[in-house]
Amino acid sequence: MGKLIAYRLVLALPQLALVSLLVFFLTYLVPGSPAAAILGAGATPESLAQVESDLGLDQPFAERLVEWFGAALTGDLGLSYSNSLPVSDLIAERLPATLSLVGGGLVFAGVFGILLGVLAALRPGPLDRAINGVTSLGLAIPEFWFGLILSLVFAVQLGWVPVVAYTPLAEDPAAWFTGMILPSIALGAPAAAMVARQTRGAMAKSLRAPYIDSLTAVGVPRTRVVVRYALKNAMIPVLASTGLTLRILIGASFVVETVFAVPGMGELLLHSVIGKDFPVVQGAVLVVAVLVIGVNLVLDVGYGLLDPKVRSQ
Amino acid sequence: MTVTEKTPAFGKTEPAPPRKRNRHGLVPRLLRQPGTVAGMGVLLLVVLIAVAAPLLAPHDPAAHNYDAVLQGPGVEHWLGTDDLGRDTLSRLLYGARVALLVSVGAVGIAMLIGVPIGLLLGYRGGWTDRLGSRLLDVSDALPGIMVGFTVIAILGRGLLSLMLAVGLIFCMSFARLTRAVTLAERERQYVESAQVAGLRTPEILFRHVLPNLTGPLAVQAAGFLGHAVVIESVLSFLGLGLESDTASWGAMLSLAAEQQAEQPFLPFPPGIAIVITVLAFNVISDGINDALMGGGRTSVSRRFRGTLKAAAAASADGTTAGQDRTGSTVGAGDSSDDSDAVLAVRHVTVALDGPDGPVPLVKDAGLTLRDGEVLGLLGESGSGKSILSRSVLGLLPRGIHMTEGSVRLGGEEIAGLGEKEMRRHRGSGISVVLQDPMTALSPVHTVGRQLCEPLRLHFGLSKEQARARAVELLTRVGVRDAEGRLDDYPHQFSGGMAQRVAIAMALAAGPKVLIADEATSALDVTTQSQVLDLLLELRDEFNMSIIMITHDLGVVAETCDRVAVMYAGQIVEVGEVSDVLHRPRHPYTAALMASSPSGEVTGGRLATIPGQVPPAGSWPVGCHFADRCSFAEDGCREHPVHLAENVRCTRADDLVLEVTKP
Repeated sequence: MGKLIAYRLVLALPQLALVSLLVFFLTYLVPGSPAAAILGAGATPESLAQVESDLGLDQPFAERLVEWFGAALTGDLGLSYSNSLPVSDLIAERLPATLSLVGGGLVFAGVFGILLGVLAALRPGPLDRAINGVTSLGLAIPEFWFGLILSLVFAVQLGWVPVVAYTPLAEDPAAWFTGMILPSIALGAPAAAMVARQTRGAMAKSLRAPYIDSLTAVGVPRTRVVVRYALKNAMIPVLASTGLTLRILIGASFVVETVFAVPGMGELLLHSVIGKDFPVVQGAVLVVAVLVIGVNLVLDVGYGLLDPKVRSQ
Repeated sequence: MTVTEKTPAFGKTEPAPPRKRNRHGLVPRLLRQPGTVAGMGVLLLVVLIAVAAPLLAPHDPAAHNYDAVLQGPGVEHWLGTDDLGRDTLSRLLYGARVALLVSVGAVGIAMLIGVPIGLLLGYRGGWTDRLGSRLLDVSDALPGIMVGFTVIAILGRGLLSLMLAVGLIFCMSFARLTRAVTLAERERQYVESAQVAGLRTPEILFRHVLPNLTGPLAVQAAGFLGHAVVIESVLSFLGLGLESDTASWGAMLSLAAEQQAEQPFLPFPPGIAIVITVLAFNVISDGINDALMGGGRTSVSRRFRGTLKAAAAASADGTTAGQDRTGSTVGAGDSSDDSDAVLAVRHVTVALDGPDGPVPLVKDAGLTLRDGEVLGLLGESGSGKSILSRSVLGLLPRGIHMTEGSVRLGGEEIAGLGEKEMRRHRGSGISVVLQDPMTALSPVHTVGRQLCEPLRLHFGLSKEQARARAVELLTRVGVRDAEGRLDDYPHQFSGGMAQRVAIAMALAAGPKVLIADEATSALDVTTQSQVLDLLLELRDEFNMSIIMITHDLGVVAETCDRVAVMYAGQIVEVGEVSDVLHRPRHPYTAALMASSPSGEVTGGRLATIPGQVPPAGSWPVGCHFADRCSFAEDGCREHPVHLAENVRCTRADDLVLEVTKP
């Protein structure tokens, strides 16, 4: 087990280093100088030089790289060009809302997707075809549009939930939960369709496996065979792709949050993209990459716990 | 909206590179898929709309009309207007232009960047590949939309940067797919070119890689075109797309979101347009993939598609289940007296539900298993021996049913019992050992856990008692250090040991009848005879009877008391092993022996059996073996042949088939 964790770490670290390097290089890709971006059109050459030296932009490449990495490792992601606040603080402020949304979407996708997938695998025929139709539609629907429609129907028209609904978890857990229902469904629906398809395939395969017959032949009840044995076997490939699902959810959450006015990282990112606030863009990319790589690491280890073949390697 | 990459069935793999021959007839195959044709039709319509937008649009998409703002659908404005009075229908039609232009441009850019990278990595291999692949892995760490954001942050808004933003999201996936196909081809070519000297690898490589690549690339490209439509709409929705007065579906949705309290109809036209377009691309992508793989969605009944087609032909000939049973006076199959039978199978017909009625897989079969006996059930694959044994266990695959017949276990009828009643007999009355021990045990559960299932279910043992009994059983079947191995997983056992575990599990509840379904076929020869010996020992110890299903005459000769020979769904001969193997009465039995290394038929005409076993559904009216039989006469083909005096052959009395051992 320790070897597995070490092996995954060895794989994850270069990936993280490469992402950081790319993020650092972003600064060099920007047309024009960041100082000009900060100061706007009325900047004098003197003030530009002043800002450049303040930002350390006049330093040699290697020095800037080392400095940037050193700072990033200690959690210092620089200052925002637009309001001079620490990027790490700006991101930390937004992260809980994003994580709430992504978590909600993942739970919805997991529960609903696995349920649909198992049902489809257990009941070939009309139900399977109906579920296939639903998942095809689910894969084609943009999350943000689904969010718009959900909000239109359930918040604007029916008034079941408030239109602008985000409440931090720490403030009021009940209100947080109510507010998260629609955004989580909107975000999780296409992912649920994806999970449902994977589950259906994996479950159909494990239901055909000979061990199902061996167990049934010694008198193990059908429900027990399906739930204890077929499902556990089917969950291995599904769990293996959770990392991918999660990455998709994080990306989509940036858009869904704007529909439901959830104050997450998407809004921050959007403003910094429009305002060319590169430290924030860099910081956000780095934080998300760390998050994704970290979660994948945890998932890989968890996957090892489920699959004895991986564990014993 | 899965914005990162086209997700195939199991998430991790790219569309599988198909072999070259699969490309043959791709377009005709695509045109036979109604879904794909519909998808192409929809797409063609969208393209036409985009091209002809200026002709089709009833209004100028940018014309403001403050007298008609935020209208619902009406006569003047079919799909209503937005907050500036612009006509929704016209903007929708023009929006198709942006959607298609951006998605085609983006996927084009992605392929232009990705495919050469993939070719390079796959072709060069070695360090280039290792390093390059690490770089490609970076895309695993980021949601695609973040890449898009970053590109727009650097380049600003505009058509080209929009295409680049979306294209860069996809290029990594194209690179990976190309790399995988190239690498696979390279490996293959390396082996082949080692034999064909003089041909240079790069030449062969590119001649083979590019044709193999087009299929998977088409699948991925079609899927990404759909994704690109969504990502374009996302970016436009967020205000990162084209200028806001350019009509695009995303920008229309952005307005709709602002005005949803005033005019709830606004989000529907652009949203539905996106969904339909994406759906069309996805359906086409799936269709190409299916056509390349040569199959659709997997389902149990699909496996029998070939059989079903044959069945349609057969029913036209008037051959249906049961029709040839008329006059079947003898207990079809094994006609032994069943007074001391542990298991008596009578007149069992098993059929597959076909669109044109049931297709028989086993016809009118009978078996008698006496106390303590080992009965061989001998036949080629496809003869129906496994289906027959499964019908006895009540474990037929979905879509296959026992249509008639009786199965009596210890005098009690078990055919047609419900799931719950059947459960009482499974394990304790009748049990099974399957062919491949590695798949016959769940790979993610310990053997102890699986072994304890029948013990706890049938004897109500506690966890500790069940474990103790499991250790005894494992020790008995010859697993060393049984206690320590209880918590091991099947893959930690060798094939022979795993089969011993499977036997222990089958015997755990003390069955009267054990069906060994090719139980030793997957094992190597030494292990095979050990496991057979074990089964014979256990028969005496557990006081049970065994049905030994096999295609191996040697196994029958070594272990069985009696044997039933099956051919094309029928039992053709039954008897004591010594009689049958010494003096076969059915030409098929003789042919089987002649083609087996252990025996030979005099006359030399049957050294190999010409032709093939007719598939279910296309069985002849008369003798099923007639077309391959050297002794067949016209009379053999005219009427159904019944089992008489334990042999199903009209000429049984005329023929003397002698097998001599060398």
